[in-house]
Amino acid sequence: MITVSHLSKIYHNPDGSNVQVLKDVNCEIRPGEVISIIGPSGTGKSTLLRALNLLDPPTGGSILFNGENILEKNYPVHKMRQKMGMVFQSFNLFDHMTVLENVIYAPCKIHKESTEKAREQGLALLRKVGMAEKADVYPSNLSGGQKQRVAIARCLAMKPEVILFDEPTSALDPTMVGEVLSVIRQLAKEGMTMLIVTHEMKFARDVSTRIFYMQDGIIYEDGTPQQIFESPVHSATKAFVQRIRKEVFQIEGKDFDYLDMESRIRQFCVKYNIADKCDKALALTDLMLKDIMAEYIPITERITFSELSMDTFVDFMVEGLETSPLKADHPSMDKLRALCSEIIEEPTSRGFRIKLRIG
Amino acid sequence: MRKIVLLIVSALLLASCGREKQTIVLNCNDDISGHSVATIAGCAYEPELSSRKDINCQLYKSSSDLLQALLSGRTEIAMYDEVVYNAIIRKENGIKIAMLGDQSYPTAFLFGKEDSELVQTYNAVQRRLIEDGTMQKLKDFWLTDKYAEAESYAHIPSEASGKPLRVATVLPTAPISFLVDGEWYGIEIDLLRELAKELHRPLEVKLYDNASGFMAVQSGQADVMCGVVFVTPERQEKFLFSEPYHSYHTAYFVLDHDVQAQSHGIIAWIKKGIHKTLIVENRWRFIVDGLLKTLKISILAILLGSILGVGLYSMMKSRRKWVRSCSAVYRSFIAGIPELVLLLIMFYVVFSNTGVSPDIVAIITFALFFASGVSNIYKASLDAIPYGQTEAGLALGFTKSQTFFNIVLPQAIRIGLPLYKGQCISLLKGTSIVGYIAIQDITRAGDIIRSRTFDAIVPLLFVTVLYFLLVWLIGALIKLASPKKNVL
Repeated sequence: MITVSHLSKIYHNPDGSNVQVLKDVNCEIRPGEVISIIGPSGTGKSTLLRALNLLDPPTGGSILFNGENILEKNYPVHKMRQKMGMVFQSFNLFDHMTVLENVIYAPCKIHKESTEKAREQGLALLRKVGMAEKADVYPSNLSGGQKQRVAIARCLAMKPEVILFDEPTSALDPTMVGEVLSVIRQLAKEGMTMLIVTHEMKFARDVSTRIFYMQDGIIYEDGTPQQIFESPVHSATKAFVQRIRKEVFQIEGKDFDYLDMESRIRQFCVKYNIADKCDKALALTDLMLKDIMAEYIPITERITFSELSMDTFVDFMVEGLETSPLKADHPSMDKLRALCSEIIEEPTSRGFRIKLRIG
Repeated sequence: MRKIVLLIVSALLLASCGREKQTIVLNCNDDISGHSVATIAGCAYEPELSSRKDINCQLYKSSSDLLQALLSGRTEIAMYDEVVYNAIIRKENGIKIAMLGDQSYPTAFLFGKEDSELVQTYNAVQRRLIEDGTMQKLKDFWLTDKYAEAESYAHIPSEASGKPLRVATVLPTAPISFLVDGEWYGIEIDLLRELAKELHRPLEVKLYDNASGFMAVQSGQADVMCGVVFVTPERQEKFLFSEPYHSYHTAYFVLDHDVQAQSHGIIAWIKKGIHKTLIVENRWRFIVDGLLKTLKISILAILLGSILGVGLYSMMKSRRKWVRSCSAVYRSFIAGIPELVLLLIMFYVVFSNTGVSPDIVAIITFALFFASGVSNIYKASLDAIPYGQTEAGLALGFTKSQTFFNIVLPQAIRIGLPLYKGQCISLLKGTSIVGYIAIQDITRAGDIIRSRTFDAIVPLLFVTVLYFLLVWLIGALIKLASPKKNVL
């Protein structure tokens, strides 16, 4: 249905500098797919969506919609947009129209439908999103969740082939997120093709047929929800889906500022509510850097915490090392085993890493 | 609050009671010392009067204003041409000549510096009129009491065609030059009609203020100026004069308290006022013509200004910096210049000698002001519509122009319409200054009627009521043109 290849988008700032938001996006969207686009902020998720219906025209690459190149000169963009609906983060309802008028305005003006017929269909759509009761109310009297449901109905009224959702729940109170997501769930059940930029991970996992993980202006990883959430290929994907927080220290030599490091580890533990693990983390750091691995300095130490699995790790990385620095006969090994619940020794492309799970 | 009102009322009562009502007696020029003396701005004896330190000198715009000032007690003495006020005294009880001025002034017609040929033609005509006795007949008719009895004036048909002889009169008062039922009469009009006959050109008379009459001749908007123009050396430096046809005396007029003012009761007074203002000599025609003129200038200026405003608005939104600066300079220029000043500049400088009619000059001038005002209204109301509305329209499949006209504009109009209406109303009221370039709008119609009836109150009340109705009419028209609440 939509084929995107080598799509790029460069923003020109007024001060002359350029920002490349999309670098090289390639993807294929087939009818009936529900694709959630996830990834950290500022990685071009919304830009990709807005580039697809040319609200922010891309600066390079190509987009084929039903086999037609929509970036061609003189391509009737408005015709394409009639088949590619969009739901905005900020709803963008027409404030001077009632709810029903919002829904039927475009079909009446563009498809030249008769007012009665459009009214009937509009009410049916409003019933579907649970807003028929408010048909004659003006948008200013609606809550955020209600507005977004009307916006979805307005989008459906044009009978689009695909709908782009640009963070549909980001501007909503937490209490209103549910009502909007259940409308989108309903659409997914009916087989509507959809692209959804979202931060609702559970929703993305439940409703999608495919997930795009975007970072640095490209689709980093593309797979089923199971692949992305359970066994992601890239560490960046994993860090994102498991919501891994980390603090990194570079220990260059003997004169390293251990006091500063100690206070930063304490702050980290307080911040992520794992104060009970703080003492163990400090003890492990002390044991590893000053005793067991003292001879391997320089070392890169990381403390990580996953908000999803609630696992806390302290890991130590020695660059250029191929075999494990841990010797089973080291006198302090018992002490180490007592402090952590799991010891993982893993060789990486850059060196050797010791990961210690704090239980 | 009540105390303050009471204080003001009692002060007013005291002030009105406290005056000693006694007719002023003048015997020689020094007797005016210590009094307030008023005359017309720009007249020949104004410099002498305003240089005197011992009197309170006041200057008014027209002879009817001067009379009103005298009648309402704003000034004690009015100094003016004897012949003009004699005509007034016959109509209005309660004023009298206290003393004649000590000199008489030769009076002639004033032409542009380059028009010596026209002056010579006129002089030849005048000499002929003196020789065949016509001049004496004219003076006997106009400068005595005779004309007052003549209720109907002979209508002189002008079959001449071609470029009219444009006359700027600055004195719309009998017996010099005055309007009755759309036709100009008077001694100076008769003399100029003789000149027009000689030239085989039609006569076109327009009313100017004393000061703008000179400008009209200088800038070529008029060929000749009349209205008891005294020949003075200063004026001879800049203009050409014909040979004088008469010498007029000036006179000092005062309120005559010895004559009891007749009182008929308020109803009778209003009836008489309305009769005088509207019915006599078909004066309602001035009002109707003035009304149509004001409406025409306002509506055309609003239409032209609204279109120019769109251009100005798109300049404000331009990507090029110099285009934006151009519109900013234009708007600050317009903001910094009074409407009247620009109107005079446009008429006497920009469009002088171009033959463009004053109506068009006025429409263009007001459109320039209107454009500046509405471009800001356009900006304020369009900027108030969030860009999300445009994006939503585009995303639904509207084209760019459909989105603008169907979604953005209706919302912007709701915001901008009250401001736009206010701008239209202030333009409509602002057009009351077009009389300065000899356009007979409602205000000027009121002026002309006042100069015939010498009654200030009724014409002014009429003009006020008519402006009120026009404002209401413009508001109703805009409401009619505004979008309905139902969008489908």
